[in-house]
Order: sequence, then C-alpha cells, then structure tokens
Amino acid sequence: MAVCANEKPQRRVNQRNQRTSNNYLMSHAAKLNQLTQNIERIIRGKTQEVKYVITALIARGHILIEDNPGAGKTVLAKTLAQSISEAPGEPHLPHGGVTFKRIQFTPDLLPMDLIGSYIFDEAKKDFVFKKGPLFTHVLLADEINRASPKVQSALLECMAENQISSGDTTFELDKFFFTIATQNPIEMEGTYPLPAAQLDRFYMKISFGYVSEEVEVDIYTHYLEIGKSKETVKQVLEYNDIVHLQEEAEKVYVHPELIKGIVRLVQSTRNHPEVALGCSTRGGITFIKCLKAWALVNQRDYVIEDDIAALAQPVLHHRLIFRNREASRTVLAQLAEQEVNRLAKLGISKKK
Amino acid sequence: MSDLTNYSRAQQLLVRWLLVIVPTIGVGAFALKQVNFSYTALHTGISLQVVCFSLGLAIAYSLYFFRARVLVSLALLGVVYWVAQRVIVKLPGEFDVFYATARFELYATLFLIGWFFGLLLARVTWGYILLFAVLVAVSLVVASNTIDVSLPYVLVHVAPAVVYGVYMFFLSPVLATEGVFTWKRVSRLAVRTGLFVGLVVLMFFVVEPFFRGDLKAVEKELVARGAKEKDEKGQGSGGYDDRYGLMEKKDDGFRLKDTMRVNSRMSQSDQLMFCAKVNNFFPDGSPAPLYFVYHHLTRYDPQTESFTRDVNVPSWDEFDVDPATIPLYQVRSDSSIFRKAMGNRLRKNVTSEIYLSSNTWKHALLGPASVYSVQPIPVEKDFQKTFYSAYKVKSYTSELNNAYFVYNISANPALEAVQEQRHEELATVRDYQAVDPAFFDYYVNYPEGRIYDSIAQLARSLVPLSATPLEKVLAVRDHFLKRNASGKRIFRYTLKPGSAGDPNIPSSQMLYNFLFKTKAGYCTYYAGASLFMLRALGVPTRFTTGFATVDRSDKNKGWYWFYASQAHAWTQVYFPGYGWMDFDMTIGNEDQQSAPKPDGTPPLPPPDPWLVLNARVETTQPATRQLEATFQRLIFYTDDHTLTQPMTRAIDASLCRVLYDKKDTTFTAIQPGDSIIIVSYKDEAKKLPPRMRGVPIEEQVRRFPSPILADEIHIKPKPQPQKEDNNGRGLVRHEKKGPTWKEIAWVAAVSIGSLLTVLIFLPLLFLLWGLLRVALARDVASRADRVYQSTWYRLHMAGFERHGQTPLQYAEREIDPRLATGLADFMRMYLRLKYAGGSVREGDDRVVQALQKTLGNALHRHHGFFNILIRYFNLPRAWRFVQTKSRSEE
Repeated sequence: MAVCANEKPQRRVNQRNQRTSNNYLMSHAAKLNQLTQNIERIIRGKTQEVKYVITALIARGHILIEDNPGAGKTVLAKTLAQSISEAPGEPHLPHGGVTFKRIQFTPDLLPMDLIGSYIFDEAKKDFVFKKGPLFTHVLLADEINRASPKVQSALLECMAENQISSGDTTFELDKFFFTIATQNPIEMEGTYPLPAAQLDRFYMKISFGYVSEEVEVDIYTHYLEIGKSKETVKQVLEYNDIVHLQEEAEKVYVHPELIKGIVRLVQSTRNHPEVALGCSTRGGITFIKCLKAWALVNQRDYVIEDDIAALAQPVLHHRLIFRNREASRTVLAQLAEQEVNRLAKLGISKKK
Repeated sequence: MSDLTNYSRAQQLLVRWLLVIVPTIGVGAFALKQVNFSYTALHTGISLQVVCFSLGLAIAYSLYFFRARVLVSLALLGVVYWVAQRVIVKLPGEFDVFYATARFELYATLFLIGWFFGLLLARVTWGYILLFAVLVAVSLVVASNTIDVSLPYVLVHVAPAVVYGVYMFFLSPVLATEGVFTWKRVSRLAVRTGLFVGLVVLMFFVVEPFFRGDLKAVEKELVARGAKEKDEKGQGSGGYDDRYGLMEKKDDGFRLKDTMRVNSRMSQSDQLMFCAKVNNFFPDGSPAPLYFVYHHLTRYDPQTESFTRDVNVPSWDEFDVDPATIPLYQVRSDSSIFRKAMGNRLRKNVTSEIYLSSNTWKHALLGPASVYSVQPIPVEKDFQKTFYSAYKVKSYTSELNNAYFVYNISANPALEAVQEQRHEELATVRDYQAVDPAFFDYYVNYPEGRIYDSIAQLARSLVPLSATPLEKVLAVRDHFLKRNASGKRIFRYTLKPGSAGDPNIPSSQMLYNFLFKTKAGYCTYYAGASLFMLRALGVPTRFTTGFATVDRSDKNKGWYWFYASQAHAWTQVYFPGYGWMDFDMTIGNEDQQSAPKPDGTPPLPPPDPWLVLNARVETTQPATRQLEATFQRLIFYTDDHTLTQPMTRAIDASLCRVLYDKKDTTFTAIQPGDSIIIVSYKDEAKKLPPRMRGVPIEEQVRRFPSPILADEIHIKPKPQPQKEDNNGRGLVRHEKKGPTWKEIAWVAAVSIGSLLTVLIFLPLLFLLWGLLRVALARDVASRADRVYQSTWYRLHMAGFERHGQTPLQYAEREIDPRLATGLADFMRMYLRLKYAGGSVREGDDRVVQALQKTLGNALHRHHGFFNILIRYFNLPRAWRFVQTKSRSEE
C-alpha cells in the first residue's frame, strides 16, 4: 500500500472502473495476440520468447538475446518489423512494414558506422549528415559483444536517450525504436563482455535455446512452407497501434501488495550474501514496466504474481553480479519463488 | 536459505530475543515463583531473583550468539565472581557480611543458572530439551511438596514447561535450518521426537528418588503379603498376628491387641515403636524405669479362654482418650483417675514424653502406671522421619512401683536395696478387709474347671492362704525361679512353647502344660499363670499389656527405647492404700541373650511456646507469606484460655514451618477456611508480651505484637468423606498423605498424552476450521479467499506440492490434467479478484461453487477416502504448510 498511499482514492476508483470496462484497451491487447501468432507462424515453438520480445517492445525497452548462431534471432526481428505496417508519411518499403536494419558487429566497427557521418555534398558545397543504420524502427544488433566498447557504448547511448549526437547536432530517433541485440555466450573467444552498467540498458536478456524435438521435426518437415511464409508476412498491426499500446501499457494496474513484493524481491537481491551487486532502483522500475507490458501481452489489464515469476529471470538476472556460477544459476530463482510463495499465501486484501 | 539470513546479525538476535529469550524468562519466572512458595530459604524477593536469572540468560545468549568463546567467558565470569566475593567480605559489620554473602551466593547462583541456560540455547541445538526437562522436574518436585495433589494442580504446574517444550520443539527447526524440505530435516525431526519422548521417560527416573520412600513402602508391603501367602500355604497358620504376637496391624500402624489369647508360638520383630523420657528416678539419681501400660485386661472368659478388656469394672483407672484427636499443646486430663487409682500412700506424679514412630498406631495412649493427663507436642524437624507424633503424659503412680522384680534382681545392690525397701513397705498390708467387696470379688474372680482347680491347688501348695499378699506374690515368683538339683532353672523362657504340642489345644490346657509339663513359655504364659495363681490365693490381680521398659543406656538418663520385641504382658497386683503395683513374673531368657539394640539419639524437646492459637484462616497472601486468622481458644504461656469473642489477627508466617498431618508442606497448602494451630516459641529476639496476672485475657491479646510471628503452623487434616464404594480411587484419597510417584507419573502421562493427542488431530481440526470458514463466508470475495486457502491446504495434505511453481501454473499444468477440478479457472478468477482491485463479476460465484463441489470428489477418486484421511495425521507435513505460511506473513 505504501506506494499507492499518496494517490487520491477518488482517482484510483475511477481508474479501476475504467479498467474493468475498457474494451478498447482489450481490443488492442487482442491485436498483440495476433502479432504473437503471426510471428509464431515463422518462429516455431518459442511462444514464451516471442512474448518476451513483444513485452520489451511494448515496454519501450530493448532486448538482448544471448544465444548461439542459427537459433532464429534475425528471422524473429525481421518478422516483427514486417508485421507492423509502416508509419504514415514514410516511404513504402519493399518488404513491407516498418524499417528494419541489421548491423553485424565486428571488432573493427566504428561508431560512425552506426550513427552515420558528415559527408561533403558537392552540390550544396556543405557537409551533409548521412544517416547511419541506427535511424530505423527495428534494429538487429548482431553479436554486440564482438565490437569494441566504444561502439557498444555508442549503441547503448542511442538506446537510452533515443537520440543521436554527432558533432553539434542532435538527431531525435523515432518514437518507435526497438533494438534486438544478440550476443554470443561470453565464453567464446574474441568478445568484449558488456559492462554491467551497459547491460542495465537492456530491459530484458533472454536466451533462445534450441527447440524441442517435436518442434524441430515440425520445422524440418515444413521448412519450405516456413520459408515461403517469410516472404508473405501479414501486417497485423499499424505503427500507431504500437505507439498506442506502449501508452496503454503504462495504465496497467499493479496491486499495492505486488509493488510491495517487488520491493522485497529487489531488496532481497541486495542483501543476499551470494550476490555481489544487487538490483538498482532503475532495475526495479524497469521490472514494473515490463510486468505491465507482460500483463498486456497476456491479455490482462492487471499484473498477477505469476508475472513476477515469469519475468524475474529475464528482467533481473543480467542486472545482478553473482559471486559464483552456482549462485548465478539458483539464487534469483529462489528469491523469486520465495516472494511469489509469500504472495500466493496472502488472502484477498481487505483494503481497496 | 532461511528468511532470517536476509537480516543482519543484530536483527536476528532481536528476533531470537523475542522468540526464545522472552518465553524462556517467562517459564523461568514461573518456576522460580513455584520454588519460592515451597522453600523458605529462597524467600528474599522474587523480582530480584527473576532479574538475576533473566540477566544471566540474556547476556549469555547474546554473547554466545555473537560467537563468544565459552571457556574464556566462563573464566572471566569466575574472576568477576571471585572479585565480587572479596569485595563483599570486606564490607563492614560481621552480621551484614553473613547476610550479604548469603544473598550474593543466591543471586550469583541464579545468574549462573540463567547463564548456563543461555549458553545451552545459543550453542546447543537440543539445549532447550534439557531446559524443558529441568523445568518439568522442578514443577513435579514442587507439586509433590503439596499435600493435596490433584490432576488440575499438577497440570497447572507442569503445563507452562510442557507448552514451552512443545513450542521450542517446533520453533527450533525454524531457527536452526533452512526452510526447504529435505530428508535430512525429516530425520532430524524424528530424532528430536525420539529425544523428546526419551526425556519424558528419563525425567521420571530423575524424579523417582523423591518418591522412593513411597515406592519402598509399596515394595515392603508386597513382600510381606507374599511372605504371608507363602506362610499360609506352607503351614496353614501364621500371618501378621502371629508375627507380632501381642500386636496386630491396624490400617495405620501396629498396636497391641485388645484381647489376649495364649498362643502356641510367638515371633518378634525389632522395629522401633516409640521412645520415651520418663522423669522418674531413684533417690540416688539413677533412672527408675516404669513399664508402659497400654491396656488392662481384667476379665477372663472361660468360654473363649481369653483375657479381655472390660470398661465396666469398678474403679476403672485407664484414661480413655485418643491423643491423635487432641489439638497440639492442648491438655486433656481426667482428675477422677486419682480417685480411681485406689491408693494415696506414697504417691507421686511422673511426667513422660513419648515419641511415637510412624510404625506405631497413632491413636494409642501409652504411659507408665495410671495416666491422667495428655498434651500433644510437635516433633522437631530433624526427627520427623523417625517419629510421627509425640505427647506428654502425666501419670499417678506409687513411689514403690518400678520395673524391677524378676529382672536385674541380683545384678545391682542398689536395686536390691530398693526392692527390699519396697517389700518392707508392702509387707505392712495384711489383708483386703477394708477393700470394697465388689472390687475385690471382681479381681479375684476365678473360673471353674479341672485345669483351673489344679492351678489353684498348685498355688495353695506354695503358700498358705493366711499369708500376706506380698508373701503370696513372692511365693509365686519364687516358684518360677526354682532350680533343680543341678542348679538349673526349672522354668525357661521361650518364644515357641507350643512347638512340642498340638497348636490347637485350648489355652487353659496350654497353661496347664506350661505349669506342669513343658515349664517353658513367654510373658503371656507367666502373666496368665501368675494371674490364676494369685487370684486363687485371693490377691486382686489383673493382666496388663504394654511395653517392658529396659534401661540400657548410660548416656541419656531417663530415655528409653521401645522396639516391637518389647511388647509385653505382666500382672498388676493391688495393695490397699498403695494402689496397683507392677509385678512382672516373666523370667529372663538364659539360653539366648540377644544384644540389646543400641539406642538412638533422643529427639530434642520442642522449644516452649508462649502462644498457641487454635484458629481458622481468613485470608492468605502467598507472596508475602502472611495470613489472617480468627481464634477464640488460645494457650498463653501455659494457660489455656477461651476468649469471650473470637478475634482476628495478622500472622507473619515468613519464617514458619507449615505442617499438614505432621508432615512438612508449603505455605500454599494453607487455604482460607482451614483450621490451623499457630505456634510461636519463646525466643530471645522476640519482644514477648509479659504474662499479667489479673488482667483479662482479651486485654492481653490486644497487646500482642502485630503481626504475630508464627514459628509453626499445623493444618488440621480435614475429615475425609468416607466413600461407600471402596474402589481404587476412593481408597487412595482416603489414605493419602502426599502424592505418590505413581499418581504424579499418571498425571504427567495423561497431560502429555492429551497434549500429543490434540497435536495429532490438529491437522484435521485445521481442515475442519478451514471448511467452516468457507461455509461462514459472507461474500463471494471472502468465500473465494477461504476456498483458496483450504484448497491449497487440502492439496498440500494430499501430497501435491508446487515445488516452485506458482499456484496458477501448478493448477494449469498438474492439478487440472490430473484431477479435472477447474482449479485453473478458479485461480484465474481468484487472481483477478486479488490483484485487479476486487470487483466481483457475474459468474465468479459459480466458479467458486464448481471448485468446492469437484475438489473433494476428485481427491477421493484420486487417492481413496481413507488414504486421504490418513494423510491428515502427518503432522510434520501440516506443520510445513503453516510454517511457510507464517514465514511469508512476517
């Protein structure tokens, strides 16, 4: 209750009334469902991961996928971009949907290669800014940990600020700017691991992993059809829908007890003896944003305890520094389970 | 990982303080309070004691919680103790030092006990079990000190300790281990339960020594009973009556028989019956022992051939009073005894103190010669184990009377001189002309018969009828002392005179055999034979039972010890003017002189009381050990007074001995409404009100100090309601003097057993409670809530465990596929109610009802009804459910 105590009760009642009868919002949520299904036609057997990606998108965040090559990251990003029809006033793209760009990070990549650079225009007799690949809606930053820290931080700055500075000019990025970064497992050679502060910029870090046996059989059997449907991705959402959903996600209701639970969870990571660096307050805020978006993706306009259980790992894990590998594997899951158990035992709050 | 590890060490300590230290101090204080009520030595202020104990406990616990070194800290403590002791000894004033040291020792001991418990709790996982054992033992010992033990009483005393034990039993895993369920913990719990039960058993062995006395008594009785049965089987006769010859066993001690038959055999015992001090000395200062009279058997019944007591005789000089019924210090006397003693020449009063052992029948009035006054007195504490009760008697006896007639006759010239003197004096009695004929005829009454005639003939052949009574007595004595040609005595003393003959022959025949054939017998034979012989010679004689007084000790002059083997029978002969005189014709046992038992230490006489109040309790204050009592009758110095109006005074019993039925008990045994006797002794330290002649007693009572300092309080035993049905319990209650170990064990077993039973049924009760709450729910939201709680409890008890999944996940993935109860639907609805702000939608009610209907059936289908029921007796499982719940609600 502590968080909501400052709000005026009257407003909260209104909010709730609005919430329970907000068919408008739910119709948008239904569209999200379509989006999920659309992507699932191509990325098979990865419902949860697809949902995570959409959640990060709706929460106005970015996502880091850590995985081996060939798990379908690029296809996912591309399909996502293709499923959303272009913004009004933008040129119609050949593949349909909003702009999608991909950068393959290499050790010799320079920040200019991402941002763009001033080029002398003979006709105008002036330096003209040539926009780099960052000026897009959906960006796939492949193998981000292969590039030098300089490049990494350039990208991360864009992600955080939603703007690009070059020389004395600052260029605003589009409202809808969504980065899907991938990185190889850190054990691989020739990598520059991302520092914790920068990892923090990603709302979520997920791991794709390989699909189950049945799904793999299905993929191999139908790979031709899958390949064809890649060409003909339906555009199920409009650019405006995304922007609107991003706004709507903010209105999802979080029960005071849940906020209390989140606070306890975040604090427990700070006090745990096996955790060297706990979750920051920014991490906690991000967690709430993601929870709200996740609830919307799951067709709900309120957050439940299951959401905490589902999101604790992808949202919080990469923000923590553990003392050993064993702790890295188990501690967060334990803390989340403990908190969810506590919430599960609570009765319906009498205070409304 | 335990929740507790998320907190700092200091916070953990705080939690432990609240959970462990505070309850421990609580039970500790309770136990201290109990002990304070029971033992006067501790009585120096309970609050300070509790503070010392708590300080020790808290400090030790905190120190050891922060991993202080045990040995180092104990050494430091020792140093502090030593220094403190030095300092206290240096204090000025010798008297103060003594008290200060005593107090310091007490508080230091309590502090150390607290310290030790703190160490146990902080360092030893099972420490609390030892603590629990100590607490229960203390409670039981304290409870056993109380007279009127009952189930609720013991429960009240033991309950805090038991509750504490159970509480710690379930708390300790929370404190000691991680919240995760593992086999290790199950085994730990099993070990703990085993230890718990083992300790309860052990406890009884620890407490058992306190009840060993009772145990031994039971054992002895069993052995005796076994011996008796064996005896009866083997010989067809025997048993108690024969074992003690002259005595029989009453319900509460041995006593002499009221009737006496001459039996064929007699065995004797060396149990101490009583000891006595007789203030009777010869003029030269040597003690003059007197036989202790119990009863006079005056009438001979030729039909049954036995001597019996006859109260309707002329001039019956027995003082018929029961000393056990007289209140302490009150004098009962009968002046008519002086007249009935039928003699006034050379008379004197002899005072005696008699201490009855617990073997002796407490209602018996024993005393030398003719007792005319009795005053019960208390027994000093140190002698209480040996002696049950005591009284002073005054007797009216002849100066000529003493125990020496046959015994010691030639041993001591001084005694011989005394004998000579007595005989000279008694020789002046010529005949019985002046005696009341009715009296005379009664005591010379002689039965008719062949055997009796031959006895009379023998008597008359010894001495002419015209001789003086003394000559006749001496002639009979001389007959028993005759020696044959070889100088050997003709009559012998033996305990088994009838062994040669048929044991069933009538006793007159046995007397005949004794006098004319075997010439061997014990006291009853000699007394019986001499009675007939003297009566045949016209000398009034009676048969007296009691105890032979043997002067054995030079150390304590005037003190005599009486063992069961000294039970005796002899004749008393009447001399007009001088009264009844003891003449013991029994000759000594020359064959076997058993070494006399060494006498014990005579009990200290109780100090003189200046005040004895016969009072009724109005109010009691156990905390300060004060009471208010109303009295009307009192003994002030030696005078017995009765007030015109009852008066109420405050009594200070702080240094007082409290006794119930002559046994030490605690102050708490005094209840308002009890009749008590308050005794206050003369003491230098007390300012006693002087005794004033001529001042009315009421006025003197007003000048008594207030409160009156009591030295002893005797609670009068309440009359026990006699139960018609003599079943086991009624009997036990009637005879009980204190709680027996059996009763306490039983009570403790019942209390612990009922507690365990409740514990076993607790999970089931919890389920019923949950279902009841569902039924009583008012609105849909709360019903959903309660259904939710009870559903998860039921699933948990049925063996479904979520293992890290959220309830919704678990319902979707495990429960619904297996049980098809619609739990997932319910869960979704429930979560909406819970987290979306709680507005109920249409159809929610139906979801709740659907789950309620299907869940029970589904579970029974899945496991079977009995299987489910049995699972509810799995206490640890239920405990885990509650435990995780409570932990999440902290």
